[in-house]
Amino acid sequence: MDNFKTRQAQLAERSVFLNRILFSSLAILLLGGLIISRLIYLMVIESDELSLRSVNNTLRTQSIPAPRGLIFDRNIEVIAENKPKFQLEMVPEQVNKLESSLMYLTELGILDENEISAIEQRVRRNYQFKSIVIKRDLNEREMAIFANNRMLLKGFDIKSRLTRNYPQNEIYAHVVGYMGSISSSDYERFDPVFYTGKEQIGKSAIEREYEHILRGVPGKRKLLVNVRGRVMDEIEKEAFTSGNDIILTLNSELQRTAYESMAEKKGSVVAMDPRNGEILAMISMPSFNPTAISLGLSQSDLDKLNRDKKKPLFNRATAGQYPPGSTVKPMLALGALDMGIVDSEYYLPCEGEFKLPNYSRPFRDWATHGSVNAKRAIQASCDVYFYETAVEMGIERMSTFLKKFNLGEKTKLDLGNEKKGVVPNQEWKRNNFKSKENQNWYLGETVIAGIGQGYMLATPMQLAYATSIIANRGFAFKPHILKQINLKDSDKVLKTESERINHVMNIDDKYWDIVFDGMNAVVNEQRGTAYGVFPENSDIAGKTGTSQVFSMDKRSGDDVPEELRDHGLFIGFAPINNPEIVIAVLVENGGGGRVAAAPVAEKMFSKFLEIRGKKVVQSN
Amino acid sequence: MFNQIESWQIQSKEGLMNQLHIDLPLMIAVLLASTVSAIAIFSASNSSEAFLTSHLIRIGLSILAMILAAQFSPLFYSRISPWLYAICLILLIAVFFFGETRNNATRWIDIGISFQPSELLKIAMPLVVARYIASGSIPLNNTNIVVSLVLVLLPTALIFKQPDLGTSVLIAFSGLVIIFLSGIKKRYLFSAIILFLGCLPFIWKTIHPFQQQRVLTFLDPEKDPLGAGYHIIQSKIAIGSGGLFGKGWLNGTQGQLDFLPERTTDFIFSILAEEFGLIGVLFVISIYLFIVGRGLLIAINSDDLFSRLAASSISLTFFIYVFVNIGMTTGLLPVVGVPLPLISKGGTSSLTLMASLGILMSLHTHKRLIPK
Repeated sequence: MDNFKTRQAQLAERSVFLNRILFSSLAILLLGGLIISRLIYLMVIESDELSLRSVNNTLRTQSIPAPRGLIFDRNIEVIAENKPKFQLEMVPEQVNKLESSLMYLTELGILDENEISAIEQRVRRNYQFKSIVIKRDLNEREMAIFANNRMLLKGFDIKSRLTRNYPQNEIYAHVVGYMGSISSSDYERFDPVFYTGKEQIGKSAIEREYEHILRGVPGKRKLLVNVRGRVMDEIEKEAFTSGNDIILTLNSELQRTAYESMAEKKGSVVAMDPRNGEILAMISMPSFNPTAISLGLSQSDLDKLNRDKKKPLFNRATAGQYPPGSTVKPMLALGALDMGIVDSEYYLPCEGEFKLPNYSRPFRDWATHGSVNAKRAIQASCDVYFYETAVEMGIERMSTFLKKFNLGEKTKLDLGNEKKGVVPNQEWKRNNFKSKENQNWYLGETVIAGIGQGYMLATPMQLAYATSIIANRGFAFKPHILKQINLKDSDKVLKTESERINHVMNIDDKYWDIVFDGMNAVVNEQRGTAYGVFPENSDIAGKTGTSQVFSMDKRSGDDVPEELRDHGLFIGFAPINNPEIVIAVLVENGGGGRVAAAPVAEKMFSKFLEIRGKKVVQSN
Repeated sequence: MFNQIESWQIQSKEGLMNQLHIDLPLMIAVLLASTVSAIAIFSASNSSEAFLTSHLIRIGLSILAMILAAQFSPLFYSRISPWLYAICLILLIAVFFFGETRNNATRWIDIGISFQPSELLKIAMPLVVARYIASGSIPLNNTNIVVSLVLVLLPTALIFKQPDLGTSVLIAFSGLVIIFLSGIKKRYLFSAIILFLGCLPFIWKTIHPFQQQRVLTFLDPEKDPLGAGYHIIQSKIAIGSGGLFGKGWLNGTQGQLDFLPERTTDFIFSILAEEFGLIGVLFVISIYLFIVGRGLLIAINSDDLFSRLAASSISLTFFIYVFVNIGMTTGLLPVVGVPLPLISKGGTSSLTLMASLGILMSLHTHKRLIPK
């Protein structure tokens, strides 16, 4: 067909064609240039940003939790440790036959049949390469059975997880605290960086207060992941730093003695070394099991703990506020002597009651004491003597003097959750009552303040601290539970320095002698309120106290319902010259101080002497 | 004496290539591209040797198809083109009524083996339009233009309805470019462009929602980064993070860690860019430009109109393949599902493409056999 075209037509065709090919070539260069400039834009100009996005696509940082520091008592007995818990885990994609494998586990007695469907449901919802927990907290028997059948259970494995364990269980519960899941409020306290990959944080007491020392620094792993998040490679690994171990001032022998002697009781015992402020024992009863709480209680068990009327979670030692009762008498006697209201030879006849003008009812004493001076008033805990003294002193001078013993102020113990109690005066009443009528201070209120009743409140910790001020004749050391930190990264040791604080200074030693004599007589002389509770001639000074819960009820003895019975208190120190231990005991609704609290104190002192004796033998 | 030996060697070489009707420059470019393809496919398949082996077999078969296609004379192609075209049209109509549907698209027909007639049309279209126009004279008269347009648009519409936007655009291009090369008047050209732009809203309504979505995603991929925009974003990240020199073979994280979808087929260019960088992709682009340039040279040097038009259509369509694929992976064009010629893994599509390069060789090496 081409044959028939003329030469001219062929040339014309060719020139049109070449023209268009030229145009096409220009178009190709244009489009090619467009593509190349686009590539240069992406691969040179935008390259850094897109490289970053590519890195973000594929790198995941995973944290390796650091083991928490251990907690020891002063003799390096373990109070808190980390214990591996074993759990059965499964990687779904590695399991050959899911259904038959799970059935086999039920045949072995590791799994319950009615759990299977829930597990299968979780498998469906999860990534197939991600490990799923089949059963938590395996016991040794289950682990042994699994180990024997491992070959038949491809894709299943036992993994360990560190959990907090408190080998002393209830004994240290309120001091050491417990662990719990991290809440959003915890993240406000601490940088979340330290908790990546961790499940728990210290929730109370030492575990909470020294969280920053115990927690350690987590390690890091940089992982290469694919589009579905599967880990393909580990690129970088940064080791963790374990948390620092801490040593507490507590003495497990004393702590156990306190716990055992308070068994079945409600209340608190605080023992402290007046020479340096070290807390030697601190319990609050009833107690709870911190290991169980840290493992994660079921909701119903947790509710039960929270609703328990005996409040086992509540730390009575630092947050329980009670009327101090007669335990304030040694302090008031000292004040009265110092102010010149009484002297050592001033005798007051006690006839069992004290009358105020305009008061229809007399203020009763718990007994008729006859003629008492300052020493005898302390020894026999004569109320009338202190009613009279209180009226002479007046509430303002009384509150000022009692506040010198740090009453009404926090002791700043390193445990947190502390209440400051109340030392009432006219101003306090004005600030704490709404109606004008109630804001007035009445003289009768001054009278009962003289025996530590009425509005006056103190925590067992405050009483122990005040007692250490008495024991040292005016000064004390800041109370503390942390003795020492063993730093993990430098092998260095940080010790808590004792911090001396002056409280009641410039008081004549002879007045102190009178108070000491009185407190010695409480324990060692007939008519002493704790006489007979302690061995003959104990080198111990003390004071009992009974604080009334309910005074309108006229029933007495066993007729009084338990929650309305008096609180029993005891404060004391030993040896009398150069005291080494101070003890405060409070027994809620236990009856009087002599019956309820003094026997507990006696056990504490004798344990202390036993420990001290052993030390003397050792050093010889 | 030396001259004699040398000329003997050249002659024998040329002679062998001539006897096999192989164009050596094209052949070398195809082999280079195939090597690049093997390297890229191995990486894109996460170093699967089985995958590479089957790919190499496919490349081998495609090259054989190319050599086979080069053995037939242009006259033969010119003669069979109407028949081929007619068969394609019948099959396309058959697909329209009895075709197999996969992934919401009806493109396949079962004639012993499952087969896409639109692939065969990629060969038939430039041949039949070139033959029709070469049988007359150029510049074209109005009747010729109308008949050519019908030849082009009838099958295009059928493929467009399958739906297969990418293939229909490429097939339409391979026909329309011949009308353009035949010297259609410029005012027709402009009015056609204006008509097309005027029809855009109508076309927008006729295309499927998923195709509309692709275009919208192309305009703003970051709007839906995990859904429709995912392909484009991950492809751009792969290309851009390659930088000047790339991350190295088998070291591209986007590809090796599966972030890049469809990476053995539509997005293989992104693998090359990530692992070999700008330097690597410029090398690949230069292979393509060489093939296109060689094709256009063959067209210019052809002595008859059929060869000229067919050769230039094949070359320019080849370029459009490359342009659309790279444009799509770099985010210049919407994702239309066009593979990268000679490099993407592909069954029939790479076979037909190689066959059309074979025809290009035939148009070049059989020149003298065509009566003037």
